[in-house]
Formats: sequence, structure tokens, C-alpha cells
Amino acid sequence: MKIPSHFNVQAPFFLLQVNHSAMKFIGLLKHACFATQTNSKLCVLLLSITALLSLSACSDVEQSSKRAITYCSESNPAFFNPQLDTSSTTADASAHQLYDRLLEFNPINGRIEPGLASSWLVSDDGLTYTFQLRRKVAFHHTKYFKPTRTFNADDVVFSINRWRVASHPYHKVNGGSYPYFESLGLQQTIKDVKRINGYRIEITLYKSDSSFLANLATDFAVILSGEYAAQLLNEGKPSRIDFFPIGTGPFKFSHFKQNHYIRYIRHADYFLPTEGTQHLIFDITPKSSLRMAKLITGECDAVAFPSQSDLGVITERDDLTLLEKPGLNIGFWAFNTSKAPLDDPNVRRALVLAVDKTTLLDAVYLGQATRAKGLVPSASWAYQGDAKELGYNPVKARELLDEAGIPYNFSLDVWAMPVQRAYNPNAMKMAQLIKSYLNEVGVTLNIVSYDWNIFRENLRLGIHDSVLIGWNADNGDPDNFYRPLLTCDAIPSGTNRAMWCNKQYDSLIQSALLIDDFEQRKQIYKKANALLFEQMPLMPIAHAYQYQAIRNNVKGMEINPFGGIRFDNVERVP
Amino acid sequence: MIKLFIRYINLMVLTIFALLVLSFILPFLFPGDLLTNISGITPETAEQRKVLEQAFMLNENIFAQFQMYIENLLSGNWGVSSSSQISLFEEISSAFPATLELVFYALLVATFVGIPVGFLAGLRHHNLADFSVVTFSIVGYSFPVFWLALVFITLFCLQLEWLPISGRIDLLFEIEHVTGFIFIDIFLSGLEESKAAFKDAVRHAILPTLSISIVTTALFVRFTRRSIMDVMEKGYIVAAKSRGFTQWQIFRKHSFKNALVPILPILALQISTLFTNAMIVETIFSWPGIGNWLIQAIYQQDYPAIRAGMLVVALFVLTLTITIEFITRAIDTTKDETARAAV
Amino acid sequence: MPRFDLYQEEYHPSPLQNVWIEFKRSHLAVVGLIFIVIFLLITIFVPILAPYNPDLQNTNTLLLPPAWEANGTISHLFGTDALGRDVFSRLLYGARVTFGSSLTIVFVAVLMGVGVGAIAGLLSGVRSSIVNHLFDSIMSIPTLLIAIVVVAIMGTGLYNTMFAITLALIPQFIHQTRSFVKAELSKNYVLLDKLDGASSVRIFFTSIIPSMFELIVVQATIALSIAILDISALGFLSLGAQNPRIELGQILSQSLETAYVAPWLIALPGLFIFMMVLAVNIVGEGLRSALRNRFNH
Repeated sequence: MKIPSHFNVQAPFFLLQVNHSAMKFIGLLKHACFATQTNSKLCVLLLSITALLSLSACSDVEQSSKRAITYCSESNPAFFNPQLDTSSTTADASAHQLYDRLLEFNPINGRIEPGLASSWLVSDDGLTYTFQLRRKVAFHHTKYFKPTRTFNADDVVFSINRWRVASHPYHKVNGGSYPYFESLGLQQTIKDVKRINGYRIEITLYKSDSSFLANLATDFAVILSGEYAAQLLNEGKPSRIDFFPIGTGPFKFSHFKQNHYIRYIRHADYFLPTEGTQHLIFDITPKSSLRMAKLITGECDAVAFPSQSDLGVITERDDLTLLEKPGLNIGFWAFNTSKAPLDDPNVRRALVLAVDKTTLLDAVYLGQATRAKGLVPSASWAYQGDAKELGYNPVKARELLDEAGIPYNFSLDVWAMPVQRAYNPNAMKMAQLIKSYLNEVGVTLNIVSYDWNIFRENLRLGIHDSVLIGWNADNGDPDNFYRPLLTCDAIPSGTNRAMWCNKQYDSLIQSALLIDDFEQRKQIYKKANALLFEQMPLMPIAHAYQYQAIRNNVKGMEINPFGGIRFDNVERVP
Repeated sequence: MIKLFIRYINLMVLTIFALLVLSFILPFLFPGDLLTNISGITPETAEQRKVLEQAFMLNENIFAQFQMYIENLLSGNWGVSSSSQISLFEEISSAFPATLELVFYALLVATFVGIPVGFLAGLRHHNLADFSVVTFSIVGYSFPVFWLALVFITLFCLQLEWLPISGRIDLLFEIEHVTGFIFIDIFLSGLEESKAAFKDAVRHAILPTLSISIVTTALFVRFTRRSIMDVMEKGYIVAAKSRGFTQWQIFRKHSFKNALVPILPILALQISTLFTNAMIVETIFSWPGIGNWLIQAIYQQDYPAIRAGMLVVALFVLTLTITIEFITRAIDTTKDETARAAV
Repeated sequence: MPRFDLYQEEYHPSPLQNVWIEFKRSHLAVVGLIFIVIFLLITIFVPILAPYNPDLQNTNTLLLPPAWEANGTISHLFGTDALGRDVFSRLLYGARVTFGSSLTIVFVAVLMGVGVGAIAGLLSGVRSSIVNHLFDSIMSIPTLLIAIVVVAIMGTGLYNTMFAITLALIPQFIHQTRSFVKAELSKNYVLLDKLDGASSVRIFFTSIIPSMFELIVVQATIALSIAILDISALGFLSLGAQNPRIELGQILSQSLETAYVAPWLIALPGLFIFMMVLAVNIVGEGLRSALRNRFNH
């Protein structure tokens, strides 16, 4: 069957903008087809398929008038308010995009800087903090809320009292659990929050706390809109405050489709001048290999938690950039010390002795982390380089187990995170490595995992035997490691995965807060380290480097060592 | 004819009823709290629990509950998803059309490529072209569809960087959800970037459609070829040939229709395979369809979602299959109940 | 006489032997059969065949490429995965689970399907017609849907997904058997048996089953290919075989994590599944051709 001569095969192709290689390929095909008159049908088929595929060559997306950054995140945020949740997914989605805080951390040197508070004073006895608030800060103007006033003291009072005062009308809204603040015991530390005038706030404490300012600068201490809260209470829908958020931050919330995306639009009246993108999109992609793939094809401009094996690929490619910073984090294996026989420190020490940490570091972190001996990494001033650690000694491990009366083939669970984190890029893999080590000393390990939100919920309930997880610091203060991870108060809030409660440890940590001098505090933390070495409620594994993978044309991206990702100054340069 | 119609209506009613009963029983079988499984809401206080129990008549007998269930279904009150708290009706009405789209495109490709190729191969069989067609078709339907999708991604998206990996359309384009079918919605949205959005949607649709349609096309080719080969051996074709009709005339007058009829029920059966493959491919390409949604629901243990999703998909596929069977039987002149095309 | 025959008897192969003769004529089909036998041997003898323990983690040899690449070694034929486990052994064990469970599924489905279908066929009347149509309709529910519901109720795991796929495959056997039995019952040779006074059950076992045998075998090969594809798909979606059990689809989904660094980890498991299904399909095609053409010479 010949192609009729009046059928101009050339015409359609001029309508398409094809790129070079596709053009060449089509040219070749055309020549081949017209040269041989046989199999013309096949030729037409091939040509039309290639034509269809070459539609791909036009990336009209870049020519479109919208400027947007697409970020591949790895999971759904549980709320759009980091007060209610310590997960970095929630913090990434809300803390620096939607909200501001009274104080902020300078991401480069870690100093505390003014945020919504333009200046502050601390009384000599360290019990009274006075904050002068910034004027003319506008809240978000959206389809569901139109602010009639700018930010003032009432908003600060509302934001703090919501989690502090149990009788506050918003305290129980959406669960009533504020894990970060509860784990620090801030509800007991703060005596009162008083409005002095429209732009001045006074916070009084029961006892002096040298980490208080740092805590106000963390991701979690966001300032909400009191006016919005009142409006919602009137409408009878108070829970919307955490799902349809209003804040003062550089972006406002536009739309959330669960398991798919979050859309943000630039807040035009943001109080700081910024040079950033108009639109921000979080593309929710749980699989890390898919995030990597999207980064390569350009469907995402930045990705969350590149996995260890992908880092090599990123450095090889010249259209991608890898940002790197020593992290303020720790990955560990926590034992549920409230469950027998894990309540016996000898059993825990035995399990730690049975595992070779070096292998874990090599195989899971692929050399991109430093060995952790204690909780605090070298990037912090409280780092103890000469801390003691248990080595690898399976024979001794089995001895200890026998002494404690643990039989052969004793089995326990380990819960492995399904998501990647800098402090543990592949918990499943680590679990499997640990499993084979424990096998050699006669302990059977069952590996358990769930969807991330269900996982954390179940952890809070303390169902686990042990868990592979970690902690990312929220501020530069070492108290931010010691307190939320292992004090008694941190158990109900869920951040104390080891469910460990030791009065001696608690009093050490408390006393460190009363002292301002770094050297003295360091001594106290050394004592705490020694206690942890003895009791071994968790096995510190690694302090990881923090990485961010972005495409080359993304400008203004920096790693925030204190947690949540920030997009306010990020834009894509074509 | 009327009798046939009534029989099939009966059948449809019966099967729909059976599905509804099954769907009604499911929450009792799922693990976890019965109330959460039915409504999607976890009651936090005893008060709330009582209110919910009232609403679903859990204290009445089973028939009243069933009646309540049917009423709720018909009025669009399908409950909420226990993980996202969004109305299930809303979620399914945005997810299901996406799957239908994919299935539809794949069906188009399979019909307009597979059937003609099958005919051609069957008409001139046992030569080189026929042999290559048969090989292609066996290889085609032996492919595990998820592996094919992965190979395509590796080749077209990562190596050649021609096509995007995930979603239906670039997230920059905010297309208002009107019908759920992306091309119609783009047309209705009236954005200035409609053209760009349209092209973008086509780019996203190519690989998923290709992955699914290869398997189905291969099957269509095989059935059509076999069917036409069988028809060509029938007496009336030989008679026509001996009377001097050309190949093409015989084909137009007799073979085409007669070959098509016995394979229609088999093609109808392929719809269920098509749906299965579409749902699997959706998870790989993050296509926001109902397969992706259901599998997320299983990971998140969202039982109300699983129940509602299952009901919708099963009802749709069943209705479609029965309708096609009815049409086939109606136009089939042989009236032979037990004759199914030999494959 | 064209050939010297020592024995004077004429040799008439039985219909079954005819099938084999015809089958042998297609070289492709025989190759497919050889592959199936290989997979069968793998399924039975894998502990002897696999060079390494599939769970053995060797952190000195992570992500080794296959032997034919520059960096590979012959001691790990297909390389190693991210935990240092030998890929070849894992694939063999995975093939055992995939192939073995598919065979089991088809076996059970055939037993139950043929049994129920036969009963349905021997009965007559409106009831069986309704049952027939009901099963027809159930047949058209997508397999994945059935699997999702079963997994939601019973949890994930290999046995639960096997149960789900068996459920999905049984209706077509019921349907085919019933149609066949009904058709045969009206045929003459059955009529003769009835005239002789045989009961329905006897007729079934002595006359109908032998004729049905080929149909069932053909159906079974189709079902086997579907079962392999479904089991591996469910394994890929993490709904099927869970750790520590190894299954080909599950290996594939785990390999996605190291997709760029180790593309062979994606190509090889998929290739195994593909070859399994291809072999089954080729043999099925060959059988069908053979059955159709066995009296043609």
C-alpha cells in the first residue's frame, strides 16, 4: 500500500517544536521510509509514534508564566501546625512556610535573632522575659479568612496559652497533645504570659531556664492568629485551625490533596523583603527512588532525604547540586525499658555488645556519618569526645544474656522507620543487619514497620520492644537532646522512645538548666553521659551529615541545621 | 429479544444485590473498631460513640442496618476516609475518573491497533509477518505489567529524558476538578495556558497508557487472529471464494462481523484484567486513580475507603461486562448458548 | 513397503500420544517446556542449587555488579544487592516461591473449580443457570480488588494472597467445566452410557472426565500464567510475601531503592518473571495448537 502522493507527511511536524535529537531521528526515519516504498504502513506507524513522543520535547512548563518551586516531600503532614507534632514532615510543611516565631535562629551561626519580637529583655533573676513585638506584620489573607488587624500581643498570648493552659478553649482541639513543649516540661516552667500593651508581652517563669530563649526560636513555637481562632470558635469549627492554617509566614496555604500535593502561594504582605518564588508546591512522594527520579527528570526542583546510595549519582550529574552540612542529629536504637526483660540494663548492654556499630555505619550510612558515642554530636559545644562506649563483643553479650536468664531463641521486635531521615537513611536495612548479628548470639529479631503516621502513633502508645529512630535538634542547645529523648516528662509526649524514667538523670538535666556557664553545664552533661553508658536505654549509632539535593537552577537554598526546610528566599532561575 | 433483556436485567439486579450484601458485611470482617470501619470517624467520647451508633442504627436488627446502608449509598453519604477525614464520595469521584481515563485510552489503543493487526495476521497467516505478529503477541501478554512500566521509566524518563514520570499533569497547572477527566477539565477551565496544559497532560499519559495497552493489545491480537482463522475455515467462506469473491469483499461482507462476534465476550473479560493492570501501573506512575488510592488505603489501614472503593469499581466493571455480554448475545445470530470461541 | 518393520502390527498412537507428537513438532513449544521443567527443578531443588544462603549479608561486597560487567566477579554470578546478599541465590529462592505458589494456586483452583463445576453441570434447571451467571459475573471482578479485600481482612502475607488469587481463578474453572459437562451430557456417547443404566456420577467419572482433561490442561496453563503475574504483582505492591520470605515481585520492589546504582537489580528479577510466564504461555500455545492439529497427519 503506497502512501498517496498528496498526503504531505511533512506538514504536522512543523507545527511541533521538536528538540534536536528528536528532529534528527525523525529525519532519519523519513528518509528511510521514502527511500524504500515497501512497508510504508509500518513507516507511517513509526513516524506517528515518534511524532507523539517528540511532543515531549517541548517543555512549555518553563515557558509558562508561573514561577514555582516544586519540592518532593516524603509523607503527608499530620497537621499544618508544628505545635501538635514533632515529625519533620509537619515541620517542613508548615514551620517556616506558613508561620513565624518570636525569635529565630540564624542558620549560619546559630545565634538567636529577632523574629516577630523586635527586642527582648531578661530580668536579672532570669525569671521574667519581656518582649517588644514588631508592628505592621500582616496575617494571611485567604478564601477562608480575611484579617481585620495586624499582628499584636493577643496573638502571642493565644499561641502560647493554647498549649500551656489545660483549660484553654483550644487546648483539646485536635488531640490536646503538644509533644515538644510537653517533653521539655515548658507547661510547668512558665508561670504566666501577660499582655502589657498591644505590642509588649511579659513571660514569667517558675525557675530560671537557660534554654528558654532557644526553645522560643524552635520550629514548634509558632505564632497563630488569635482573630482567626476566635472566628472559628464562633463558627463552631475550631479544628480547622490546624488544617486550614493562618499565619504570618512567607507563604499562605492554598490547597492540600492527601497523598498527592500541597500548594502554597506567596504571601504578598510578608513583613520581610524576600526575593523568592510565587508558588510553592510540595509533591508528596513516599518512595525515595521516585523522588530521585523526579529530581533527575526535573519534575522536582528539590527533594527531601536523598537516600545514601543516590548521593553518588547526584554528585556525578552536572545538572544537580548536593548541599552538605554536619548535622545536629543522632540516630539510635532505643529499647522499650518499660517492657521486661528490656527493663534489665544488663540485657540491654548485652544486645548492644552483640552488634558491630562499624558495620552499621559502613553499610547504612556509607561513610556519610560520624560514629556516635553519646547523644550530642561534635557540632554542638557540649560534645564529649572521650565518652565511653560499648564495643563489639558477642561472646560477652551471650554471657550477659545467660546471666540475665535469657534463653536461646529469645525473640524481640524491632520497629524500623519506613521513611528516610538524615539520622537513619535506611532503617530497614539497619534492622536486617542487626538481625543477623543478634542471630549469632541466639536472639531472634522480628522486623516490624507501618505507614509513618501510624508508626509514630503506635510508638507513642509504647507497643514496641525496640525501635530504630533518631532525633534532629531543634536548636543548638544540648538540652534539646537530653531532655526530649530520655526524661520522664517526655514519655507521655512520645519523644522518649525508650520509655525510660530515671530520677537521677532527670535531676542532672534539670540542674544543668539552672546554670548559664557552658563549662559547668558541660560537666553535668558528662555525668549524664556516664549514667547513660551504665544504663544503656538506647544505643547511639551515628551523627549524620545533613544533605539537600537540588537542581542547579535553584537559587537561595540553604540547609537549616535546626530542622524545618525554608523556601522563603528560594527561586528557580531558568 | 425481550426475554433476553429481562434475563439480563435479572442477572444485573442479582449481582448488584450480591455485591451490596458483600460490601455491607465487610466492616464486620475488617479488624478494628466496627464503628470506625463503617463511618471513618473514631469516636473520642462515649457521647460521640452513642451519636454515631444511632446514625448507623447499630442497635437495630441486621435488615434495618442494611436498609440504612442502601439509603446512605444512594444519597451520597458514603462516610469519610479514616486517614484523611475527607468525604469518600468526593475522593472516589476525583480518583475513579482518572482510572477510567487510563482504561479508556488503553482500550482505544488495543482496539484500533490490536484488532486490525489481528485481522491482518489471520487473513494471511503462516508467513513471516504473521509469525512476527504471533511472537509479538505472546511476548506482549507475558510481560509483567509492573516490570514493563519500570523498564519504560528507566528508558524514556531517566536515560532519554523524554517523558515525565509521575502524575497526570504538572502540578503548576491548577485545573479545576469538574468532571474528573483531565482533557475535558482542561478544556473547561479556560486558562490561558490551556494549550500548554493539554500538551503536558498528553506527555504524562503516554507511558502509563503504553504500559497497559501493550499487554491488552497483544491479547486482542491473539484472539482476533484465532477467531478470523476459524471463520476463514467455515463452509460459507469457502463457498463465497468459489463463487469468485475477492478476499476483501469476503472480509467486508462476512468474515469481519462473524469473527468479531465470538470474541466480544472474551474482550469483555479483558476489561477486568485491564482494570487490574491499570491499578498496578497507577502506583508506579503516581497516577491519581482509584488503584493508587486503594493501595494507599491498605497501607494506611483505611477500611471505609477500601470498602467504598471496592464497591464502586466492582459495580462498574460488573455492569459494563454484563452490558457487553447482553449486546453480544443480542446480536449473535447463532443462539448457541454453550459455544464459546476456542482459544 | 517404504520402511522395514520388524513388527507387523500397525501403530496407532492414542489421542494423548498424538498431542505429544504434534507438540514436539513445534520447536518453540519444546523449548518452553524445557524452561518449565527447569523452573520446576529450581522450585524443588533450590537448597542444593543455590550457591549462597540468600539471607547471608556480606558487608564487604555491597552492590557488586553481575559477573559480565567490569567490576563483577564470577563468585557472584548476578552480583550482590545493597546488603551484600548474592542476587543469584535470592532469585532462585524467589523463583521457587513465585512458581511454587502459582502451581499450588492452580492446583487448588482446578480441584475446586472442576468439582463445583461438575456438580453444577450435572444438576440442571434454573438454579444452575443462575449460579452459572453469578459466577460469570464474579469472574469479572478485577483480581487486584479481590486481593485488596482479602488482604484488608486477613492481613498481608503470602498465604493470604494465594488464597485471594485462588478465589479469583476458581470461577472460570467452574464456568468452563459446567458448560463442558452440559454440552457433553447431550452427546451420543453419554446417551449410550445412560441407556446402559449408568448413574450420573459414573458417567461423569468414566466418560466425561477423560474428554475434559485436555480442556482443563489448557485452562490450567492460562491460569498458571495469570497466577504467576498476580502473585508477583502483589509481591511488588508489598501486599504479598513479606520479609523474611523471598519472592520475585518483592525483590523487584526492594530493588527500586538502588535503581540508579544497580539497574541490574531491576532488570533481572523482572526477567525471571517474564521468562516464567513466557515459557508457560508458549507451552500453552503449543498445547492448544497440538490439540487442534493432532489428527492432521
